[in-house]
Amino acid sequence: MSATHDRLLALKGATVSFHGFVAVDHLDLEVGAGELRCLIGPNGAGKTTTLDLICGKSRINSGEIVFKGKPIHALNEFQIARAGIGRKFQVPSVFRELTVRENLAIGGSRDPRVLSNLFKFGTSADRQRLEEIAVLVGLRDEMATQAAFLSHGQTQWLEIALILAQDPALILMDEPTAGMTAHETNKTAALFNHLKGRRTLIVVEHDMGFVRDIAETISVMHQGKLLAQGTADEVSSDARVREAYLGSGGIGHA
Amino acid sequence: MSGKVPLQILLYGVVCLAILLFPLVVNDAFLLNKFSRYLVFGMLAIALSLSWGYAGILNLGQAMTFGLGSYCMAMYLKLKTVPIHTGSDGLPDFMVWNNLTELPWVWAPFHSTAFALLAGILVPALFAGLLGWFMFGGRVTGVYAAIITLAAMVVVNLIIVDQQGYTGGFNGITDLAQFDMFGFEFDAYSASTYYLVAICLTVALFVALAVTRSKTGLILQAVRDREERVRFFGYDVALYTTFVFSVSAGIAGLAGMLYTIVMEFASPTFLGVPLSLSIVIWVAVGGRRSLLGAMLGALLVTGVQGALSESEAFLETWTLVMGGLFVLIVLLLPQGLAGAFQSLSARLQPAGKVGTDKKTSPDKKTESRDSGKTAHAGETA
Repeated sequence: MSATHDRLLALKGATVSFHGFVAVDHLDLEVGAGELRCLIGPNGAGKTTTLDLICGKSRINSGEIVFKGKPIHALNEFQIARAGIGRKFQVPSVFRELTVRENLAIGGSRDPRVLSNLFKFGTSADRQRLEEIAVLVGLRDEMATQAAFLSHGQTQWLEIALILAQDPALILMDEPTAGMTAHETNKTAALFNHLKGRRTLIVVEHDMGFVRDIAETISVMHQGKLLAQGTADEVSSDARVREAYLGSGGIGHA
Repeated sequence: MSGKVPLQILLYGVVCLAILLFPLVVNDAFLLNKFSRYLVFGMLAIALSLSWGYAGILNLGQAMTFGLGSYCMAMYLKLKTVPIHTGSDGLPDFMVWNNLTELPWVWAPFHSTAFALLAGILVPALFAGLLGWFMFGGRVTGVYAAIITLAAMVVVNLIIVDQQGYTGGFNGITDLAQFDMFGFEFDAYSASTYYLVAICLTVALFVALAVTRSKTGLILQAVRDREERVRFFGYDVALYTTFVFSVSAGIAGLAGMLYTIVMEFASPTFLGVPLSLSIVIWVAVGGRRSLLGAMLGALLVTGVQGALSESEAFLETWTLVMGGLFVLIVLLLPQGLAGAFQSLSARLQPAGKVGTDKKTSPDKKTESRDSGKTAHAGETA
C-alpha cells in the first residue's frame, strides 16, 4: 500500500461460510483513505460477500474487520452505516414509490434520530446539497419523478446519488455499471474519477474496460482468497490471475 | 413544496370544519350521538392508516389499544359514580358482587382526572411500544406481525373477560358517571359531546398529518417500500416502526376514551376481533395511504351500514349488500376511494401539465405522484 494513504479499512483473516461453502476464506485486505480500490475476480470469488461482510449484511465466522481503527464486525447494519460506510447494491435498491427528491432526502441521513426528524418538514432542509448531488449524477430534471419510472441506468445513478447524500467515509459499490449502455458506463467512469481522492471507494466490477478507466489499485479475488494485487497492467500480466480467469475459476459458480 | 402544502392542509381543514359545523344543521340528540360514534371510528381509521398505509404495518389488533383507552375512561367514570350497591369506601358495584373488599391498586390512581386522561393515551401507546419493540427489534414483519397483533389483542381480551373482579368481566363496566371538564357536561346525547369528539378527531388528524409530512414520515414510507435498504443509511428501523406503532396506539386510545363517553359503558367487545377487522375494511375502502381517505372511509362505511340496517328494504340483506360492496371496492380500487379520487383528478388535469410541470412546477408533480404511485402499486399488489 502506498504510504500516502492512511489505512481506513482492514480485513484480517475474515472468513465466512454458508452451509459448509467457504465464500470468503481468511481474507486479508487493506484499503487506505482516499483510495479507489477495484475488487475483481471470477464468478463466485467472494467479491459481493466481502462487501456484505464489511457493511454488516453478513457476519464473519472468524477474523476481524477494522474501520477507522475500531472493530465493526459485531455492530448492527445501521451502526456500521453511522460509523461511515455506505453501500450500493448489485441490484439497484432505491425507494421506487418515492420521488427522486424524497429518495435523496432519505440518503441524507446525517441525523438519523426519530424525534428530531419528526420536526423536519418537506425535503427542504438539505435542499441545496441534494440539488448539487442530483446535478452530479445527471438527475436534476427528474427530481419530482417517482423512482419507479426511471430508466435502469438512471436508477443505478440514483442509488449512487443516495450514497453521496449519505456522505460516508467509505463507499462500497457493487457492479455500478451493470446493465448500463456504453455511453452511460463512460459517464459513470467520469463520475468515479471525479470522486477519486475525495472519498474512499471499493468497487466490485466485471467490466475490465471500466476498471482500467478508474482503478488505482486492483485486488483480485479467487475462491474467497486474495489472489493478486497491483496496477491494472501488473494484475493482467499475473500468471495466477490468468489461470483463475481462464481455468477452472470461470465456472466456479457459488 | 409551497404549492402543495396549503392545498392538502386546506382540504383536511375544510373537511374538519364541515364536521365541526355539523350540529348547526342537525339538532337531533339521537343523531348527534350516532354521528359521534362514527367520528370515533374515523379516529380509529386514522390510527390504522398511519401504521398500515404509511409504515406498512398491518395492525389487526388495533382494537386492543382502542379498548385499553376505553377501559381507562370507564374506570375513571366508574369511580366518580355514587354507587347504588357499595361496599366499604364506595367500591364499584361489580367488585362487591365479586366479593372484593377493597379497591385494587390498579384502580386507585384513576381517582385522578389528569392520571386517567393521560393513561387513556399512554397505556395503549406504551403497550404498543413494548409489543413493537419485541416485534420490530426481532425483525418480525408482514403477515407475521399482523398475526402477533391479532393474538396480542385476543390475549388482552381474554384477560379482561377472565378477571371479572377487576374489570367487570364479560359485562364490562357499566353505570358510569357523566364526563365533565372545565365546567362542561358531556352528556352522550348532546352537542357538547359531539364537539368534544369532533375536536379530538381534528387534533388527531392533524397530528397524524404532521407525522406523515415530516422526515420521519418519509423514512417510514421508505421502510414500507424497502425496509432492508433503509438500515444501510444508518436509520434504526425498529425504532422508527415502534414509534409510529405507538403514536397510532395513542390515537386509538384517545378514540377509545371518547367511545366510552359516547356509549356510556366499556365492554370486552371493544377489543373484539369483529371491530378490529372492521377497521381494516374501513381503511381499505377509504384508501390506506390517505389519512383523510381512511377517516372518510370509516364514516362512509359505518354510516351506510347504519342506514341499511335500519331501513326496512334491507333489513334482511344489508350484510350481504355491504359484503358485496367491499369485494367490489377491494377488487376494483386497490388503493381505496382516496386512491381512485387521486388518479381521477390527475387524469382530469389538462394534458399540457405533464409536459410542462418538470421545470415550471415540480411541486405539482409531487402531488400527482400519489396517483402514479397508485397505478403502479395497483399493478404490483
